[in-house]
Amino acid sequence: MSEFVFATAQYESGDWDSAPLLPANVIDSIARYTSIEVAPTGVIVPLSSPSLFRYPLVYLTGHLPVRFSDAERANLRQFAARGGLLFVDDHNHDIDGTFHKTATEELTRVYGGLKPLPKTHPLYQAFFVFEDGPPTTSHELNGWGDNLVHKTLSGVEREGRLVLLFSNKDYSSEWNYHPENKRFLSVDNTRFSVNIVVYALTR
Amino acid sequence: MPSRADVRHAAEIALRAVLLATLVLALWRSLRQSPSASRVIAARTETLDRDTRRALHSSEVSGVDVELSAPPTAAQRDALVALRRNSISIHWRGEVPGIALEVIRRREPAGGATITVIGAGSAPLVLSDSAGLIDTVRAGAVSVDVGTLVGAVSATRLTTLASARTPKTTPRRAVLVLGQPDWEEKFVQAALGEAGWQVRARVPVAPGVVVRDDGLLPIDTARYDAVVVLDSSASDLSPAITRFVQQGGGLVVSGGALGIPALRALTPAAAGDRRPGRILLASDTVSPSDLPFRPLLVREDAATLERHVAGVALAVRRVGLGRALAVGYDESWRWRMLGGFSGLAEHRDWWSRVIAAVAPERADTSAAGADAAPRAALIDALGPPSGAASETPRVPEDRLPAILLGIVILAELAETASRRFRGVR
Repeated sequence: MSEFVFATAQYESGDWDSAPLLPANVIDSIARYTSIEVAPTGVIVPLSSPSLFRYPLVYLTGHLPVRFSDAERANLRQFAARGGLLFVDDHNHDIDGTFHKTATEELTRVYGGLKPLPKTHPLYQAFFVFEDGPPTTSHELNGWGDNLVHKTLSGVEREGRLVLLFSNKDYSSEWNYHPENKRFLSVDNTRFSVNIVVYALTR
Repeated sequence: MPSRADVRHAAEIALRAVLLATLVLALWRSLRQSPSASRVIAARTETLDRDTRRALHSSEVSGVDVELSAPPTAAQRDALVALRRNSISIHWRGEVPGIALEVIRRREPAGGATITVIGAGSAPLVLSDSAGLIDTVRAGAVSVDVGTLVGAVSATRLTTLASARTPKTTPRRAVLVLGQPDWEEKFVQAALGEAGWQVRARVPVAPGVVVRDDGLLPIDTARYDAVVVLDSSASDLSPAITRFVQQGGGLVVSGGALGIPALRALTPAAAGDRRPGRILLASDTVSPSDLPFRPLLVREDAATLERHVAGVALAVRRVGLGRALAVGYDESWRWRMLGGFSGLAEHRDWWSRVIAAVAPERADTSAAGADAAPRAALIDALGPPSGAASETPRVPEDRLPAILLGIVILAELAETASRRFRGVR
């Protein structure tokens, strides 16, 4: 049995490392709630590198405009074809922002059109149950960006499995804190990250 | 000196005598049943139908001597067998080329079939089905994989035709994957699903929390073709799995699951010490020989299906009505993800073949038919060819009945004409 390694995508444009504390927080939640064997630290994997295929779940975020290189696009196409899942989170939580516009444009070139995920999608029942779909974040209505609650996530499925999950919820801000500080929360706001990992490992 | 009328009267009496004698001879001949009157028909390929019919309807034929220039059809062969069972000796000679044809339907859901043809001689063999030409192959043993077959399959060389029907397909049942949440469990599910298998899974993700498909239990042959056990998380289902295999289900045991004590009685091999996979550089691609590996220690009653440089990688054995297969590779998902452009398809097809090797077959997947090997069928039915012409005395075709009939007609006409000329009725 190989342990799960949380991988953050490094891409040539933009600020790929804008949520440096998120991996440790997600890893903490995986270890806290599940019996999944998880590596204690995450890795950073360049999108254009063959090493991408060692990590079938990869997290990508940023604030700035995204423009993939040809090698990154080619790698991502193969990554999707082989069943890898790319989780992209808009650190701006703004559908009118530059990250959203450029990232969706790039992802559409690679994956095809993104479609909203219904609230009944298995992702929302993979571990914790989120009957109303994706959990909202405190950053969606804080005056930054479009000041909207984004009701759905979107994605692309192949063979009945998600190969791309796209979020404007700004989980990158929501989960970007030291795991020790979870004790100050009445409800752990990283629970949805467990669903993403469990979904990726079991579907 | 006798008058002309006396001569004529005497001639009429003689003609009548000849007529009566001929009739008596014909009657005697028809009633006579002696061995010396039996005869052997000399038949050829072109006249075989007519000659076998004649032999069938004549009580005087004691044998048929067949000179073949092409293999007889199944109906002709059956007719000859029927004659032989009716105490008529059958001898055959001639050059009947040996061709054997077999069609085996693949057990994977994707279907398709493998045609194997064996033919001596240098002339090409033409393989075809009802839809048309499939391939032209040279002599020797050749296997051809075909995705879709329409109607019967035939192999033709000059005048020799071997044909086999297309075997039936079996509707496949689900495959149950049991494993902990990791990439191996995910990509085994993915590979089997992409190969057309209906996949169900049970994945325990936390104490008391299991990701599972609805209607997972009971594990029986009415629901599942095979169960894949990837690690020790399936220990609690060992009794059900044992019962399933005994009843005819297939079992694939891989990785840490080879150490489950309750499954050891089923598995065809024990696992040796785990060897790490090859250390990869960034641009390296992965093949099965690079994967982490547990060399299999194969039981005496098991068969080895695949070898790795470090030992046996796949072994299978029969258990009750079912089959159990052990896999020595660990983390096969790396083959799919890091195996280059072909890794995905190779990993998918490999896992599909592994399941097909243990999945029960509910219909005959191999079809040959009576004409799949014409020469072998001929020898099986009639014995080997005669070295020379039959020793049984052969006579030309019997013309005596026709001669006797001619004599009767001529004598009767002559006598009647003579009497009419005399004015006597």
